Amino acid sequence: MNPLDAEMTDAARYPTLTEHGRRLIDFMREHPHAPIFRNESGNRLTAADVDRVRAFEREVATTDVGWNPAGVPEWLDAFVDRCFETTPFYRRYGARPRDFREIPTVSRADLGRDIAQFVPDDIAIDRLINFQTSGTTGHPLLIASLPIVAASYLAFHKRAMRRVGIELTYGRGQVGVVLVGFQKKCFTYVSVTPTLDESGLAKINLHLDDWRNPDDRSKYLDALAPEVYSGDPLAFAELATLKTRWRPRALLSTSMALRPALRQALEERFGCPVLDIYSLNETGPVAVFDSRAGGHVLLQPRMFVEILDRDGRVLPAGKRGEITLTGGFNPCLPLLRYRTGDYAALRHGASELVLVDLEGRPPVRFRTMLGEWLNNIDVTHALKRFPLTQFTLHQAARGDLVFRFSGSRGDDEAVRGALLSLFGPAQPLATEPDARFDDKVVQYTSDIAEAML
Amino acid sequence: MDREGPILEALTRRLAETPAEFLAEPRIGNVGRVHTDAVVGDLLRLLGHDVPVRDLAPFSASDRRGDRNRLGITLVLAWLLADDWFVRNRSDVAALLTLLGTTAGELAEQTAATKLVTDPDRREEMARIALARLGLRPAGETIAQAQDRLTTLSSAERQRVMRAARVAEERARAIREALVRKAAHESADKYTRD
Repeated sequence: MNPLDAEMTDAARYPTLTEHGRRLIDFMREHPHAPIFRNESGNRLTAADVDRVRAFEREVATTDVGWNPAGVPEWLDAFVDRCFETTPFYRRYGARPRDFREIPTVSRADLGRDIAQFVPDDIAIDRLINFQTSGTTGHPLLIASLPIVAASYLAFHKRAMRRVGIELTYGRGQVGVVLVGFQKKCFTYVSVTPTLDESGLAKINLHLDDWRNPDDRSKYLDALAPEVYSGDPLAFAELATLKTRWRPRALLSTSMALRPALRQALEERFGCPVLDIYSLNETGPVAVFDSRAGGHVLLQPRMFVEILDRDGRVLPAGKRGEITLTGGFNPCLPLLRYRTGDYAALRHGASELVLVDLEGRPPVRFRTMLGEWLNNIDVTHALKRFPLTQFTLHQAARGDLVFRFSGSRGDDEAVRGALLSLFGPAQPLATEPDARFDDKVVQYTSDIAEAML
Repeated sequence: MDREGPILEALTRRLAETPAEFLAEPRIGNVGRVHTDAVVGDLLRLLGHDVPVRDLAPFSASDRRGDRNRLGITLVLAWLLADDWFVRNRSDVAALLTLLGTTAGELAEQTAATKLVTDPDRREEMARIALARLGLRPAGETIAQAQDRLTTLSSAERQRVMRAARVAEERARAIREALVRKAAHESADKYTRD
């Protein structure tokens, strides 16, 4: 039997699990106020993986991020060579151009056509995992990755938190992080983090469908008392309404743009720093907002950032354009001039590089006819089985929806049905199949004032 | 291959000594330095042909990923054909345009332009293909010898390319299958979502 076909076991999910870790998992899963955990997952790290991740964390902690404003980082040349030698997609370009700026750019659509072409020849595929993008800037993507890549995110989170004086200290018997979601459907589970001495990790959904009793939400979170909460702005807005007493040491906000007013409100509510992290499934954490730096400070020592105009020309420092990335820490997805679809200007500060006026994915809530709020991610999930190339959803002030889309391959009624099953059959909904779009679409918009947080 | 052409070694040596200007990035859109259509136009004039501008259209392009290697090979061929022998011995203009256009496109499917300069076997193949497309054979070889050697070189390369393509497709399929299996979907722990 192919081991990839096997059902996962706890031994495979937590290869280094000790009795301490097992007790903590049981505590999180079987707590009397626990939510309904709908899924299972784990760190999947072997002892050798744990050593590698720790070494990577040390490297990230001690390596500067930056390059000469007129040049490129030292590591870039060897990285580009390697891409052209080992990665099928880039190999098809032919010979490597002498000037880095003559290398063609890559778009999200290129990744979407066949992600396998981006996996280098020397990557063993028996431990591949996938990350699915939320698809807020296009249709959902499946990204090839590895357990050590997922675990390595923490290196950048630690680097970000160090900026505000926070060193993670939680370990055995304590819960390190609760990932908070607020969606109709959400992947939820518990696990432990071996690089933090098996501190706990719980991924939960605050949506009432996942709880036996609404009051359980705050009781459970207070019982877990995590060192850090992470989530998107919509989930944090819901978290802030709960009667939790627990004060975490930090909130890590990802997935969507965090507006200053909400950040301030969250900092006051929880009495801790709220870090707005610009992070993509394709790259992991890229930058963290720091008001003293005037923007999002780059986090990855081996990530080269260019700002390009619409025609692919490199813009000078300070000029606003599309954020284009080369490098990264996922060996399954070496990126060469990847156009993110997000916009900013790059500023070379005294000791660091800053993305100024970053414009990422704005969070938008949609209101059903029953007055219930839906996260835009719910819409993405509801549509992910359709091969849509692009779509936009707009809600008018009265609640009417307009859905424009392309690439449904004639499945227009099924697309409509998926939206109506999410919003309810009485939802006024106008659909426009075969819509034409500009390159950059703002996918989710609303005229309802409360939709934007 | 009815007519005898130049000595093969003169052509392979010329390829090995291809100047950097002919290996520079072909201009596509607003990127790259060398305007391939202009180079081809100059070459044809050097070889005694005046062609209408529309015949040069295949040598300008807009798809950087799809066309840069093809145009790169056209530039290497242009350098090769600028050899004195071809200047002195006029070739048919239609055959020249086919070699610089269609044949360059076919070679681009298999080989990077720089490899046609740096790899001895590919240099020989390139020189022999160029001669054959112009109805020539290397000086001192019979038609049979020239055909046999070209077939050997080309079929070995074709088989290598096909083998590599088959291996690549099998691996891509295995990756796609691995990614959609249940174990891959369970993913692994991250401290945040993206």
